[in-house]
Amino acid sequence: MDPVSTPNDVLTSARASTAAAAHYDELRGHPPKKASSHAAADVVDAMDSIAASARFTGAWSQFFENMETQSSTELDARAASLERQIRDNGVTYNVYADAEGPQRPWSLDLFPLVVDAPSWQHIEAGVQQRMRLLEAVMADVYGPRTYLAQGLLPPALVHGHPGYLRPMAGVRPVGGRHLHVAAFDLAHGPDGNWWVVGQRSQAPSGLGYLLENRLAVSRQFPQAFQALKVQRLAGTYRALMDSLKAHCPAGADAHIALLTPGPYNETYFEHAYLARYLGLSLVEGSDLIVRDERLFLRTLRGLVPVHGLLKRVDDQYLDPLELRPDSTLGVPGLLQAIRAGNVLVANAPGSAFLESPALLGFLPALARHALGEELSLPALSTWWCGERSAMEDALSRLREHTIKPTYPGSSIHTSFESVIGNTLGQTALDAWAGRIMRQSEDHTVQAYMPLSQMPTWHSAGPGQRGAMVARSALLRVFAVSDGLDAAGRPHWRVLPGGLARVAGTTADIASMQRGGSSADVWVLTAGEVDTTTLLPTALTPAVLAQRKRLVTSRAAENLYWLGRYTERSENTLRLARLTLECLGGENQNSVPLLQWLSQQAVANTLVLPGTPSAVQARRVFERALIASLASAEGATSVGFNVRALKMTAATVRERLSQEHWNTIVRTEEELFAHCTHLAAQNDYSPAQALRVLGEVSDQLAAITGAQTDRMTRDDGWRLLSIGRHVERLYFLASALARSFETGAVNTDGGFEALLTLFDSTITFHAQYQQSRDIAALTDLLVLDRDNPRSLAWVAHTLRGRLAKLAQSPAGELSTMSLQVPNPDTWDLAHLCDTPEGEPSAPALRELLEDLSDCAFDVSEGISTTYFTHSGQTKHSVGT
Amino acid sequence: MLLQVTHNTRYDYQPSVETAQHVAYLQPLQHASQNLLSHSLTISPQPAQQRSTVDVYGNARVFFSLQVPHTVLEVKAQSLVSTAAHALPESTEAWEQLRDRLRYQAHTPFEAASEFVFASPFVPRRQEFSGYARPSFVAGASVLAVAVDLMERIHTDFIYESESTQVSTPALQALEQRKGVCQDFAHIMLAGLRSMGLPARYVSGYLLTQPAPGEVKLVGSDASHAWVSVYVGDLPEGQRWVDLDPTNNRWGWNAPGVDYVTVATGRDFGDVSPLRGVIHGGASHTLTVGVTVENIGGDNTDSVALASASQTQGQGQGQSQSMAGGMSQSQGAIN
Repeated sequence: MDPVSTPNDVLTSARASTAAAAHYDELRGHPPKKASSHAAADVVDAMDSIAASARFTGAWSQFFENMETQSSTELDARAASLERQIRDNGVTYNVYADAEGPQRPWSLDLFPLVVDAPSWQHIEAGVQQRMRLLEAVMADVYGPRTYLAQGLLPPALVHGHPGYLRPMAGVRPVGGRHLHVAAFDLAHGPDGNWWVVGQRSQAPSGLGYLLENRLAVSRQFPQAFQALKVQRLAGTYRALMDSLKAHCPAGADAHIALLTPGPYNETYFEHAYLARYLGLSLVEGSDLIVRDERLFLRTLRGLVPVHGLLKRVDDQYLDPLELRPDSTLGVPGLLQAIRAGNVLVANAPGSAFLESPALLGFLPALARHALGEELSLPALSTWWCGERSAMEDALSRLREHTIKPTYPGSSIHTSFESVIGNTLGQTALDAWAGRIMRQSEDHTVQAYMPLSQMPTWHSAGPGQRGAMVARSALLRVFAVSDGLDAAGRPHWRVLPGGLARVAGTTADIASMQRGGSSADVWVLTAGEVDTTTLLPTALTPAVLAQRKRLVTSRAAENLYWLGRYTERSENTLRLARLTLECLGGENQNSVPLLQWLSQQAVANTLVLPGTPSAVQARRVFERALIASLASAEGATSVGFNVRALKMTAATVRERLSQEHWNTIVRTEEELFAHCTHLAAQNDYSPAQALRVLGEVSDQLAAITGAQTDRMTRDDGWRLLSIGRHVERLYFLASALARSFETGAVNTDGGFEALLTLFDSTITFHAQYQQSRDIAALTDLLVLDRDNPRSLAWVAHTLRGRLAKLAQSPAGELSTMSLQVPNPDTWDLAHLCDTPEGEPSAPALRELLEDLSDCAFDVSEGISTTYFTHSGQTKHSVGT
Repeated sequence: MLLQVTHNTRYDYQPSVETAQHVAYLQPLQHASQNLLSHSLTISPQPAQQRSTVDVYGNARVFFSLQVPHTVLEVKAQSLVSTAAHALPESTEAWEQLRDRLRYQAHTPFEAASEFVFASPFVPRRQEFSGYARPSFVAGASVLAVAVDLMERIHTDFIYESESTQVSTPALQALEQRKGVCQDFAHIMLAGLRSMGLPARYVSGYLLTQPAPGEVKLVGSDASHAWVSVYVGDLPEGQRWVDLDPTNNRWGWNAPGVDYVTVATGRDFGDVSPLRGVIHGGASHTLTVGVTVENIGGDNTDSVALASASQTQGQGQGQSQSMAGGMSQSQGAIN
């Protein structure tokens, strides 16, 4: 089949989509011809371009051939499915914790950027060569400093760069290598050549996102993915892990962790994703501690040695003792541990100066000096204005070049957003020239290159067909450490793939921060496809045993709160439903019932303080309760708890199954969407609210199911379970106590409501039919060992979980478990006995009070025993 | 001159600190005009780990960590130093010449001093500093002449006021309000020199002060001091730094005078703060610093007596200040 001649609306759209003038056209493999001013020539050009527009590159022809669809409607459907998948997986590029802020899902285009095998070989060799050079620069700058002494590198770009770290001077990192991971941003120029635009070595992002991109996009085009022989990625990640371990003295048994700034970081999603994919402990600075120049992780079972860190924290924040004293993200003493050779950090701190665009201009001469080679993959021409001759040269070229800050983001230098000269008028250009002359060192001028344009799919609204649109793209590729080469020199492997960043409009700036998108990168191979998977190599039993138990103190605390918020969500939901049902039910005039419900609502802050009770003004109360369901202000109702559940889950994202996390995200999203919708329509009807609550209830059941069934029962899970039971114990005991205080328990409506709240209606009626006996109620809700909502069952389970929890000082363990009243000693007759003239069942009410108190005590005990370390604030002092 | 320095630092914490890690720069340097005869560092409680190293600038740096809960940390440094004055050899290099020589040109050799021409965390590059400094930079004047002129101007233009700034006060603020303490004057002078292309270092140390006539010198009445060292490229190799103290308008080769003790040099205060640390716990703390510098050599030469007559005192009676909560940093124990 010839795809080009087959009538096909996707191909029609592809033919219509061409790159803008002067941009390389990824679809066709050449830049479109420039429009001529001559009318006659225009006609010829137009005919030429019609012919040309049909000729796609071999790879793209093959792609269209294997797309398994001809229809743009189908592509619209795939784009929608892709978007859904990204949303479901919770891939984000922003802040989880800021729930009120704009939630921006990761943006991914349907089509991949395709790099053919010859281009890739060129890129691969060029990037490897550049890695050898950058490593040589690091080793020299932190070692003998000969490049500086010989004038090959300006001191202003090393000593004058905030990223040059003096505490690392003279330090040879463990294993001998500074750089283990680096990213290069490449532009595909109009002539079809690839150019280096910039490099990232400090904490480059993308290695996680690109995996997610690959998973999502390859699923949309499975046949094309096979047919084009797209290179796989897993082997490179595996090489990185093996290499990191080989550089640690502990070797294959080395414990490597991923150091993240935490859930507030904009790329936290990928930290958690990568940690899970690579099998690393995801740690924050406060999880780590340095003792005797060695690094340890705080876990439930004490300190565990850490031999290596894959870091995503910027250098300046790594150690508040020697670097930024206001950093709360680092580990005091970490640099001492690094200098002592006890911990590998990838990359070694101090590489940020390599990221200055100004450095690019000095690399060709350095390559000749250090490697005796010419750089095979060129960078855009770059002039650092701190050198007088370069500045004079650059000033004459401003109009067609880009002006970039030499020290981006530095607080002690002039820093600014890059500008492209051809977007500026003469006055503005003159102003820039003045600035450059005054602060010459702070300015770098770089050649401007139109980025190549790749096909992207733009879905239109309902009823309209999507279309192919050409968009500028910048390719980020990654080099990772890969042991030594045959000559015993450090070797790097280039990940055969990458992250394409796609400009949001036809503009030329591709940046995720500026609303751009991303695309998968398909690197083709002429040879065999490497199908390595990331299944770990054989681990020693010692390492396996250690990994099994490893729960960081922070994860433990978050899991405990995940349990509490899950239970709170369920409890407030059941209470809200029950209340709304009762207010419209047959017992809606029962004063004790209304009193009980009002007290419950106030105790759990389902209504704002000051709301009249249901006894005083039933409809006002009802409306207040509905209005607060998803309110974040003052009330701690269902919405508040579900959101807290999601935020807590986000902090232990790497421990949750995909389905578990998806359900949590969707539950929160839908609850708030429904409530916002109803509020916008001023609809506070109980029927609508109950419908929403019903849906949330089903989803919460799926979440608790995942927690019970889909999680490994380690100490972390045990704490989650303890959190749930502490919360349940308190909620149920206090609800039951209030039913006695208000007398609701003695009414028909109250009795039934209690059964509903304890989720025990079916059991009760099966056992006791229509009885309204307090003894029967006590038997089922308090004493029954088979009912997971009876207090005896909750207390019993809590005692068991506490007893099983990690080794703690022997005394504390037993006391904590023994703090929970022992159900074996509870006696029905005694509990239900009501002496003459006294309020009913004093012994039961006393027990309920004990149970509420013990929930508090256990929570306190857990916090002080297990969470003290991570909760403590660290701060700097100085004279 | 034979000088004995006692530098006591005491932190009182509330509640107790669980663990702590500290870095101290308290040991005086050895240089051409200063000989360190003895030094001791006493830390209480006993550190779990203590390690002395030499930092990238050649300063003595001590790391120590405390792993027992404590409500008091006491660090006592005692040093015995002999100082000597040296007459400055002739220097004529014009400031523009030095500036141009240090400016990068491909394949020209590198002078290590050029490291001190760049902006640093406490000495950012701002036009306000070059604007203030420029009048001192007369065309063709020698490096030394412009530096001394700048020092004299700062000494005249600025009011010394011990409570006017904190250690964290940006030099820019001190420049605007035309008052500050020794550290601010040092940072302003550094910023001025560097903005014109001359390398300059921050020096931390002590100064012997004399009690007013008829009064007895009080123990702990001195304080840490800070001044500036400028690079004079045509002096003999290895002795190219001339120290200038804008607080007291004094200058000299290697040190502003024999009554000065040099402890450490760096780009700015942040590189060489006497004692800093990261603590776990201890929500609030009180810091007490007492410094005593005594001349025990009896070598009270006329020049010293003359020079010290007009000297600015330290922050007085071993100041004590309380900081509550959060991220308290770097309170001033420096004049």
